[in-house]
Amino acid sequence: MNTIIEKINQALAEVEAKAAAVVDAAAVEQIRIDYLGRNGLFPALSKEMGGVTPEERRETGRAFNAGRSRIQELIDAALARLASGDGAKGEAIDLTLPGRRWKTGHKHPITILADECVAIFRRMGFIVAEGPEIEDIFHNFDALNTPQDHPSRDPQDTFYFADGRILRTQTSPVQIRVMESHEPPVRIVAPGRVFRRDTPDATHGMNFHQIEGLYIDKGVSLADLKSVLQAFAIEMYGPRVKIRLRPHFFPFTEPSVEYDFSCIMCGGKGCPVCKHSGWIEIAGAGMVDPAVLKNVGYDPEIWSGYAFGMGIERLAMLRYRIPDLRLLYENDVRFLEQF
Amino acid sequence: MDISRNWLAQYVAIDCDIPTLCDKLTMAGIEVEAVESAGTVPTGVVVGRILERRPHPDSDHMSVCRVDIGAGEPLQIVCGAPNCDAGCVVPVATIGTVFHTPEGDFKIKKSKLRGVESMGMMCSEKELGLSDNHEGLMILDSSLKLGTPVESLFPGDTRIEIEVTPNRPDWLSMWGVARDVSCLLDSPAKLPEITVPECHIPAPGLVTVEAPDLCRRYIGRVIRNVKVGPSPKWLRERLESIGLRSINNVVDVTNFVLMELGQPLHAFDLDKLEGGRVVARRARSGERITTLDGKTLSLEPRHLVIADAVRPMALAGVMGGEFSGVTDETTDVLLESAVFLPSNIRSTSRELGSSSDSSYRYERGVDYDMASVASDRAVQLILETAGGELASEKVDVNSGRPAEKVIPCRFDRIRALIGTAVENGRIVDIFRKLHLTVDDVTEKGCVVTAPLFRLDLEREADLAEEVARINGLDSVPAIPVTGKMCGSIRDDSYLRLQTLRDRVISLGLYECMHYSMVNINSALADRRFVKEDLIELSNPLSLELAVLRPGLLGEMLGTLERNISRRNLNLRLFEIGKVFCRAPEKFPEERYELCIALSGLRQPERFSAELKQEYDFYDLKGVLESLFELANVKRYKFTPVEDARFRRGRAAEVIIEGRKAGAFGELAADLSAGWRTTHPVFVAQLDVDVILAAEHGCGYYVPFSLFPATSRDVAFLAPESLTHAEIVDFLRRAKLPDLESVQLFDVFVDDKLRQEHRKSMAYQLTFRNVERTLTDAEVNSRFEKLRARLAAELKVELR
Repeated sequence: MNTIIEKINQALAEVEAKAAAVVDAAAVEQIRIDYLGRNGLFPALSKEMGGVTPEERRETGRAFNAGRSRIQELIDAALARLASGDGAKGEAIDLTLPGRRWKTGHKHPITILADECVAIFRRMGFIVAEGPEIEDIFHNFDALNTPQDHPSRDPQDTFYFADGRILRTQTSPVQIRVMESHEPPVRIVAPGRVFRRDTPDATHGMNFHQIEGLYIDKGVSLADLKSVLQAFAIEMYGPRVKIRLRPHFFPFTEPSVEYDFSCIMCGGKGCPVCKHSGWIEIAGAGMVDPAVLKNVGYDPEIWSGYAFGMGIERLAMLRYRIPDLRLLYENDVRFLEQF
Repeated sequence: MDISRNWLAQYVAIDCDIPTLCDKLTMAGIEVEAVESAGTVPTGVVVGRILERRPHPDSDHMSVCRVDIGAGEPLQIVCGAPNCDAGCVVPVATIGTVFHTPEGDFKIKKSKLRGVESMGMMCSEKELGLSDNHEGLMILDSSLKLGTPVESLFPGDTRIEIEVTPNRPDWLSMWGVARDVSCLLDSPAKLPEITVPECHIPAPGLVTVEAPDLCRRYIGRVIRNVKVGPSPKWLRERLESIGLRSINNVVDVTNFVLMELGQPLHAFDLDKLEGGRVVARRARSGERITTLDGKTLSLEPRHLVIADAVRPMALAGVMGGEFSGVTDETTDVLLESAVFLPSNIRSTSRELGSSSDSSYRYERGVDYDMASVASDRAVQLILETAGGELASEKVDVNSGRPAEKVIPCRFDRIRALIGTAVENGRIVDIFRKLHLTVDDVTEKGCVVTAPLFRLDLEREADLAEEVARINGLDSVPAIPVTGKMCGSIRDDSYLRLQTLRDRVISLGLYECMHYSMVNINSALADRRFVKEDLIELSNPLSLELAVLRPGLLGEMLGTLERNISRRNLNLRLFEIGKVFCRAPEKFPEERYELCIALSGLRQPERFSAELKQEYDFYDLKGVLESLFELANVKRYKFTPVEDARFRRGRAAEVIIEGRKAGAFGELAADLSAGWRTTHPVFVAQLDVDVILAAEHGCGYYVPFSLFPATSRDVAFLAPESLTHAEIVDFLRRAKLPDLESVQLFDVFVDDKLRQEHRKSMAYQLTFRNVERTLTDAEVNSRFEKLRARLAAELKVELR
């Protein structure tokens, strides 16, 4: 064994150790430069090869080539190890430290329910219409067949302005505005804010939100209304929910009904949420009164249709079991971030 | 209104249990709101006599009794009541009796009380549900046969509270409800026989109607020599069964008939009527009356009164006068049964704040025909319970019976409206069972005459409702949802607002919702507005909440402060809502506004240096820029503005496509004075319409280069006043070929630079060609030219 082979063996041992310890690509590059680079060990040894005896030349040459390949292998292996992520330097990761949170926004529960209702009715071919919140008596009451001395017109219940207009008490004036400006058929829903002169308490507010639906066409019947409400109930609460229509009275529909959903808490068996009746009152509906159709210039002998409405706060309170309506308007972030 | 099951059963046989009855009522539109069963003595409680009472050997207050219940050996019963004396006849709950209590069922078992065997329980009135009396055992009539079931002595009753819709005043009586129950249970309804002695004594001038427009009918009769006193038991019990108080026999009869037939009645003490007569007239201006409830009211001609020859004696249809009613001294009675104009009674009742069971019915409308029947019924019952004799003819002053509505009905039309296949015969049957008159029945239809108690029936649609209601809404078939497309989603006004809101939420903000009515200070916190701009309510709930919000700022400040006071310091909130203004030059009446508020820590969940970062001006600016990016709003700019809502020099106006879209900045210090936070507050208010109008949707696809980019950095000292935008503008305007982007990467100011009013800035310019790789030489030459122009034209010192 000659000195060249000794140097090669020594270099191999060094590189084995160094390559195992490197933690970054720069250190690997340094190994390459030191041993294989232009001014590194192997080019230097190659120059010494001239002084090797002919008997040893073959063996030395083989050792030289094997050593150089081995070092290249070690370098490649070290790089591969680094690339796979091993040996990264820096502090150890504490997985329990909090991550840097991306900002998440929150939709208000009233909006969640309004959007959901709108989405369900859009799938059934309704499009959304809107109207002003400061409304006139004609659209809010007269055109909707509300008797002149009906209690809902009383300043006790309705907010008035000096010019005789009011804050709309229902989303129904949107029906009138749409029918005034469109020829039938009409198929709309109108979500929006409405106002009643109620002192705020756990179930009342000065303003709240409704969503209202209207379909006018030839041959529309109470059965169509029932089917739409049934489909809405199922989309909202799942395939097991049932609906029930009860006769009621509204000036702008005839026949008028109220509709209940089977209790979503107990499935109709009776529980505190449904006051042991098995049913939850959702809202009012009916076949549009012929007087209303006449008021907007539709011929009730040709056209018929249904209208329905419901309170969005009530849906939200039922969905999330929110006990007090005022929480919805208080905007405590600990409330808002739950939705 | 409350109805009693037993009372109802006087007119129609009820052969179903209470839950079934209630369900049928509700499903027919008479919504049952509450049910209360009273006096239901359980089976197994019998009449017993206490034969012997001994003290309990092991208790101071209990006794051991032997009780005879009429069969078998006397029972030994341990009792704690003070009055379980030998000889008393009492109710005895025998072994096996089950009491139904709100807390659950409770069964009487053979038991031992302190070691002494007890074979039943003797009961108080409260334990039997007959009253609240629990002072001692209920003492029964000693003549009762021992062993008699006590339930047979106290038949139970159920009070049912119903909600009557305003279209059905005919349901405001037992008879009215009985008529519908008759139809629902298919069992005939029958009024008790009403017999009145004949009397033809003329009574000229007894009744004068001076205001026939307000008083359509007035029936007056005189009954003399009545004996006013307590009512008989049956009458007291009927009234008590629906929560009314017994007063005296005459008054009780008028109340009974009111509840039985729905016709309000009034009994005057004839001796107290000046001239012994009544006049239905408009009040004279300033005339006063003291009503039964002790209130003295000042009247006007719009109010109808029942007067004697001189003074008003009753506020017609609303309440009797304090001094003309029947008292224990009364001997002669004038009995009123009248029909008044509903709207007049309603407005009088509202205006004077006075209401009664009578006004409740009158303002909804009473049956013209029933006034006469009720008068007869009351005479019958007064004579029966208070004696006396009828002393006048039936004086009936009226302006004629109103015409009954005749409604043609087409069977096909009814079926089409309710979507249910109901046969012709069934339709006719329903009408007849509802006591409507049906004529001219053909294959196609019929003619319905609505009786005067059904004022709600006017049109075919009203008849359709009757068919739907009685045939059952449950039998309306569930059919597949069908409906024409009646518009395009492009017409959907909600969609764009919904999309905008979703975009704001995607930026990490929390949606808030506030009331539209605010107090004036909250409204004016938005300093763009003055008092004259605000829309005021004529009848606010309180003066605190008297105006509509002109902007969303005021209530948002309230929410910020409320959260901060609750130590919720890290806030990123927004609201989109309608705002209102009276000054058209500011905005026309109603519009949507977007308000955003930021305050607190940017990364409160982190630690060390990151934890200390607070939201600053550029966070809010970034929110707006990101929103505009999402909304594809391109041509916008921010310009400095002086605005009283914001700190001087920390505010910007937002201009979108040349239109003012709003402003944002750091909140003026006095608007957050006293808030318990050290973090600055940033607020933006934007006009939603301007944002939506600038959303033009995405443009066309722009190709991008796949060749490598080459970057060069340029750093310089610039005058303090030179803005970033001016530099970027300059670089853009230089139109260097292949300049892809300009990226600011450093702004630096130290004390020395500050004194020199200069700052150090550094930009990275990136060059890239779409078709080839740029050479270093090309880039260098362009870059060097640009450096030269920067130095020459922007007066910066290159570094």
